[in-house]
Amino acid sequence: MRRVVPFVVLIAVVAVFNGWLDQRFYVRVLTLSVVWALAGVAWNLMAKAGQISLGHSAFVGIGAYGFTILLRGGGTSPWTGMAIGMGVAAAVALVIGLPTFRLRGFYFTLATISFPLIMELLVSHYGDPELTVPFHPESEWKFMEFSNSHTYVWVGLGMLVVALAISELIDVTSFGFALRAIRDNEVLARAVGIRTVAWKSAAFMISAALSAAMAVLWVKAVLRVTVAEEVFGITVVIVMLSVAFVGGVGQTWGPVVGAAFLIPLAMFLDDSIGESVPGAQELVYAAALVLVALLIPRGILPAIEEGCRRLAAWPRPSLEHQGPGLLGRLAAPPPRPSPLLRMPRRPLRPKLPQPSGTPVLEVDGVAKSFGANRVLSDVAFRVDPGRRVGIIGPNGAGKTTLFNIVTAHLRADSGRILFKGMQMDRMRAPRRYELGMSRTFQVPQGFHLMSPLDNVVVAAIGASMPDPMAASMDMLERVGLAGKALGELSALTTAEIKSLELARAMVSEPDLLLLDEPLAGLNEAERARFFETVDELVAPHAAIVVIEHSVRSLIQYVESVVALDECRVIAQGPPEEVVSDPRVIEAYLGSRWMEHARDQ
Amino acid sequence: MVEFLQFLVPGILIGGVYALLASGLGLIFGVMRVVNFAQADFMMLAMYLSWALFAGGVGLDPFLAVPAVFVLFLVLGMAVHWLFIRFVIGKRENHDAQVILTIGLGLIFQNLILIRYSSEPRVVAPSYANAGDFIGDIFISRVRLYAFLLSVLVAALLFLFLNRSRTGRAIRAASENWEAATYMGIDIDRTNRIAFGVGVALTAVGGSALVTFQSITPFVGFRFVVVMFAAVVLGGLGSVSGAFVGGVLIGIIQSVSQVWTSAAVKNVWVFALFLLILYVRPNGLFGKVQRAI
Repeated sequence: MRRVVPFVVLIAVVAVFNGWLDQRFYVRVLTLSVVWALAGVAWNLMAKAGQISLGHSAFVGIGAYGFTILLRGGGTSPWTGMAIGMGVAAAVALVIGLPTFRLRGFYFTLATISFPLIMELLVSHYGDPELTVPFHPESEWKFMEFSNSHTYVWVGLGMLVVALAISELIDVTSFGFALRAIRDNEVLARAVGIRTVAWKSAAFMISAALSAAMAVLWVKAVLRVTVAEEVFGITVVIVMLSVAFVGGVGQTWGPVVGAAFLIPLAMFLDDSIGESVPGAQELVYAAALVLVALLIPRGILPAIEEGCRRLAAWPRPSLEHQGPGLLGRLAAPPPRPSPLLRMPRRPLRPKLPQPSGTPVLEVDGVAKSFGANRVLSDVAFRVDPGRRVGIIGPNGAGKTTLFNIVTAHLRADSGRILFKGMQMDRMRAPRRYELGMSRTFQVPQGFHLMSPLDNVVVAAIGASMPDPMAASMDMLERVGLAGKALGELSALTTAEIKSLELARAMVSEPDLLLLDEPLAGLNEAERARFFETVDELVAPHAAIVVIEHSVRSLIQYVESVVALDECRVIAQGPPEEVVSDPRVIEAYLGSRWMEHARDQ
Repeated sequence: MVEFLQFLVPGILIGGVYALLASGLGLIFGVMRVVNFAQADFMMLAMYLSWALFAGGVGLDPFLAVPAVFVLFLVLGMAVHWLFIRFVIGKRENHDAQVILTIGLGLIFQNLILIRYSSEPRVVAPSYANAGDFIGDIFISRVRLYAFLLSVLVAALLFLFLNRSRTGRAIRAASENWEAATYMGIDIDRTNRIAFGVGVALTAVGGSALVTFQSITPFVGFRFVVVMFAAVVLGGLGSVSGAFVGGVLIGIIQSVSQVWTSAAVKNVWVFALFLLILYVRPNGLFGKVQRAI
């Protein structure tokens, strides 16, 4: 219900303006506001995953040229042309996206700029830099040739509503969770089974198709001629960026707010002083970008939400807390779990069966170098079902690198990783997670803009749990974080973050749990409690591998220990044997202290 | 072969200027990890300044105007850093803000110039604009040669500044690891400001060098911004010397591509190479290998 209200408001507002405004210029302003809102919604789909694309004019250009060429060539209806253009744009997005999504942050943004530039140059040089759209008055609807300019607004509104509905649907399904997880922490997302490239490609393709659709409306209703410099031009991207960032980047309704505010402002300014000030329209977008960057980098909508929250907390609650006043409750409703619409999903992939007699994990002859720096050399050990193995070694011995290779965050130079007897070399991180591997991180990782509950839900979605929300809430209860499930991640203490890491790693019910320095930063009582919690959560047949510097705590917990030093395994076996092995003592204390220890 | 050389030599000459343009961008990224989309618009402003000094009665030769351009843009760059850039530096979540802030600033520069000088293309033609010398069969334009020599000279001075001066070393330290640099008592805000000013000034000087053979419009920057990024990425984002080598390579590719395809699509080769490098060696041809996590 809460999600329907904005749609009703949008349709009502556009309808009122469309019925009321009569002058041609005003109708044009309304049309362009709708067109750019649509473009912004399309662009924003990528921004949901934190990907800032400066290349969307490639898809606008494809849409515009596609339908114009088809219309000129065979008199194809612009509607058919739109559908074909959307398909081509989506296909191009897939081709562009697959290599480009490997690039993170700046590199992605930089790479996207070049595509429309290349297309514009090629089209202008080898094709036509300008194509007029032929006039087909014989059928208004078939050729989108409306004599009443208000009709374009209705058509645009229809397309905008569809685009917004798609965007909303993405928000409330696992698609949205995956995109938000990628935005917050891509490495972690892959570690909890989110197939980042697939999700990003899907978002990019939908975004590209909507951009191509917008182009047809833009050309038909406003431009009436397809110019390469315009439809492939950077200005398209700048307007998309402006409306999206002003309203709220990544927010479904952001571009609508941004366009409603910016497009009329820019056009009225251009109309009144455009004669003497030629760049007035662009200056509005430029000023908006600069002001948003400096004042409200996440946009108007999140800023309003934040304002409401402040309002709710004002006046400051007295010592006897009365709860927020009526105004406060209206302005900022209590936090609730992010909605997750359950979609028909592929059946849960069965985990690998555990053949009897094979170890859960077998590391065989693994070697890894970073450039000339050797980190691991011929490392081999095995972990049987239900066993707990510790890995010790001085800093820089290669312990975390070993974990990264086991979970496919790094690729080994040589050697094999066998999981339940199956060779893992070709499997990427998300697949290994699905098959039953799970880990925590030395530096605790999180999806920073998501609640603790959502952090776990992402991992449950990654493991294709039948009911991710319930499984996650249950897991948070078991680690004692139920009370903070909907709070902010930054409000958690170190011990709570460690518990959250554990909940996230355990929600998939893994058969192999890799814990990377779980005790770091915990006090004595918390340390004792931590391994108890682990044992409560882990299934009896599952194996646990722990990296830990606190050898004393570790040897009380594990049944065997692997000691690494200078990239090799120097000892392995029962804990007491390994820690009294002279080579291990030497590795930890140095040879001078060895002699000292022997003297005693 | 002669045909090839006829394209190669001008390619190297223009490449020197690209190198200078790109080294400014590379310096700024290296020190404060800001991708400055407004960088080419500083170049455009410098081109208009050179034009104004030349055509606006003073008649100052654009090459002689270089010291003035450098100082003015050093100050302008530091002012822009102080007014805007410093607020979006640092945190990871500022990435988006950096992108839109610098795009916005670039647009403001473009449109202010458009309002003041209209979109009519401007040309700076000193008396020797068409002069040149033949070496064998290869014609070497004098203005392009001067532009190249100027770029090499400025690059040499930049090298001395970064390696010998106290401030230059602070900039290099900050570029290597700004957190460690703060522990060593380096004032990071001041270092950033100076680096931004120097970076802008380098690109501005590059603009002055270009002005004798490149017509000027308010939107000329956009054609160069991707070329500059390509040069910087080719040499490895963050490496000033890499950016310089990258610039020369881009100039050569742009020019030599005309042996095979029309000059109108020469930039397609540059952009394609840019993508190729991003995909294959995102740390650049000479970049260091980074750890995954």
